[in-house]
Amino acid sequence: MPRVVVTGLGPVSSIGVGAEAFAAALRAGRSGISPITSFDTTGFPHDRGGEVRDFEPGAILRRIAPGRWGRSSQFAAAAGRLAVADGRLDLAQLSPERAGAVIGTTSGESVAVEAVTAQLVAEGFSAVAPDLLRQVPASRLAHAVSAELGLAGESLTIATACSASNYAIGYAYDLLASGEADVMLAGGADSVCRWAHAGFFRLGALAPDRCTPFDRDRAGILTGEGGAVLLMETLEHAQSRGARAYAEVLGYGLNCDASHPVAPDRASVAECIRIAHRNAAVKPSEVDYICAHGTGTPANDATEAQAIREVFGARMPPVSSIKSMIGHTMGAASGFGAIATTIAIDRGFLPPTVNLTVADPALGDLDVVPNQPRPATVRIAQNNGFAFGGNNAIVMLGAVR
Amino acid sequence: MTTGGLVISGWGAVSPDGIGVPALVDRHAAGTPPALTPAGDPPEPSGYAYAGFDPRRELGRKGTSFYDRATALAAVACGEALRDSALPLTDDGDRSRVGLVLGTTLGSFKSTSDFTRETLVQDKPYLVNPVLFPNTVMNCAAGQAAIRHGLRGVNATIAGGPTAFLSALRYADNALTRGYADAILVGAVEEFSAHRAWTVHLTGPDGSSRAAGEGAAVFTIERSGVPRRGAHHDAEVLAVATGFGPGPGGGADALAACVRRVLARVRLPEGEPSLVVSGEWETGDRSEYDAVVSVLGRRPRRLLPKSLFGECDAAHGALGLAVLLGLHRAEPERDGTVTLLTARGGDGAAAAALVRGWGRGGRSRG
Repeated sequence: MPRVVVTGLGPVSSIGVGAEAFAAALRAGRSGISPITSFDTTGFPHDRGGEVRDFEPGAILRRIAPGRWGRSSQFAAAAGRLAVADGRLDLAQLSPERAGAVIGTTSGESVAVEAVTAQLVAEGFSAVAPDLLRQVPASRLAHAVSAELGLAGESLTIATACSASNYAIGYAYDLLASGEADVMLAGGADSVCRWAHAGFFRLGALAPDRCTPFDRDRAGILTGEGGAVLLMETLEHAQSRGARAYAEVLGYGLNCDASHPVAPDRASVAECIRIAHRNAAVKPSEVDYICAHGTGTPANDATEAQAIREVFGARMPPVSSIKSMIGHTMGAASGFGAIATTIAIDRGFLPPTVNLTVADPALGDLDVVPNQPRPATVRIAQNNGFAFGGNNAIVMLGAVR
Repeated sequence: MTTGGLVISGWGAVSPDGIGVPALVDRHAAGTPPALTPAGDPPEPSGYAYAGFDPRRELGRKGTSFYDRATALAAVACGEALRDSALPLTDDGDRSRVGLVLGTTLGSFKSTSDFTRETLVQDKPYLVNPVLFPNTVMNCAAGQAAIRHGLRGVNATIAGGPTAFLSALRYADNALTRGYADAILVGAVEEFSAHRAWTVHLTGPDGSSRAAGEGAAVFTIERSGVPRRGAHHDAEVLAVATGFGPGPGGGADALAACVRRVLARVRLPEGEPSLVVSGEWETGDRSEYDAVVSVLGRRPRRLLPKSLFGECDAAHGALGLAVLLGLHRAEPERDGTVTLLTARGGDGAAAAALVRGWGRGGRSRG
């Protein structure tokens, strides 16, 4: 069976655009949180989020016209373009039908849906701009990547909420491992939007100013945004073009809680970890690092820690949450997690959980890599993604041997 | 592209004419859509809705209070598919190796827009109803249907619009072939709402009478290599392919490529596929048929679900397959014939599948 490797990284994030900037920010433990400007926060008790302030799609995109696409599609296409550049992939040398795009998302073109809604509230349905309605379908996230890069293979948007990037990476891995494709661009994208800010606030899950995963006093998430795309290819294809592989995709696992629309389920998460390990032929004792879902809500972090303890027992690997830096980027979250995990493997350091003041005693001796990055040899790592709807997805990555 | 070897062992559908198979067959026999339902007071556009749909009657009160229409349609269709395929339950009702893959366009446009509307019209922008928040997320229907039916296996929502159902079929095909599940319910759903009615009205060609429809259809698929005792054999999914055509006119090329790929996967008798189920509006619409004819070199008959149900977006392809299998169940003379399913999206997406259908005449079909 063909082996699958990651050869390019395309983060468009609040802490940096491009692999170098993102890696440097992870190492520095930078925060991408700032007062929200993309919608009017007047009247909201909390007003902070992880917006990509310096996103200039026109400076990155070469083929598609940004104005024809919604913000999330722009994030996806830009992230795809950056991943191709980082991997030094010559698109002219590709067989287009052997290359595709798989993009995960929670809310798709949420900014377009909100603009439609503002128009219909102001003037009624008949006044809504048709061109805005044409931007609304979520399928356009993957299509933006395919159109930008000229890919003719599968072009799929997976809408499994906050674990969707892991679904996308998993599906791309399958297409490569089963010989259906040579090259895939996979990850996720989402945009900061008013309705998610309001919804999380009303669920009591929105933090006032900082996201503090695993802290005793953690108060919830901050909504974030961006595009996170990985260039994946078969090892053979990477070798044939002399590309350097950052990491190998070892496999992934999916399952569904089927118990509650929003509350995480310890037993189900633990089972998903076991499925991922089994599919990747990995033993718990071999895992050197877990990039956590780590949203910063009391429920998620406690449930996730318990599930990890259930599978790993006394020998839990270090677990950190990059959401402490970039907030919860929704459908892009596990894509950023996969990029951070790849960087950890390739560059030999664990990204920290920043903002940790008092470790939560209820989490026991869980090592959350508090506040400072840590040099480490990461041979095998686990990237967690969980979601509303009980959609658990975990991707296993490893050093290329 | 699939490795083939998938069997549909049962299915269920909800259409504007109600729940179940006979309604689909009758609608096909009528050859025209049902009466129009208004989306609101005139001049609101109207469409083809299942006006008598009562989620509580179908599903009971427990757990359904906050279902939106799309979620309820999906939950009903999943229940119908499970019943029709007689998929066995373990004692505790845990179907950990049974998955669900649903196609959509953007989830419930109405639920999402209504929720964000509250942030604009309430005294305080945060005065939204938190229990409705999950309905803004596109995987709501698949997540709720999984809860209702105890489906703990691979659960995915595929946002594909016009190609959503065939993309969902392709996704499920991969999950089964890779051994991630033993059976998967695969389908698609779209609800009727003012949001969708206006979208069809505002984005269609000038002066057209095109209207939005709604429905859900869900199919139980299993690997044919591992037959389940007593499993029905309603259809074989011989091949599925999806692709993309970058650049202007790329969608037609992508569809032709998908048709070529599915045909290359299986050896068919002369004259098959004998039928095409496409996403076109009427026979004068050749946006998919031209690509099919160019590859086949002949002109098979077409079945056009949009002429029966209106614009059902993501659900369109699923309803098309449901009509086809309804005809197979009703008309034994169709046994063993092969149909080509096609779909094209506005941005360059394309998909095709080959399906061989059967009735339930009781013969062994190895």
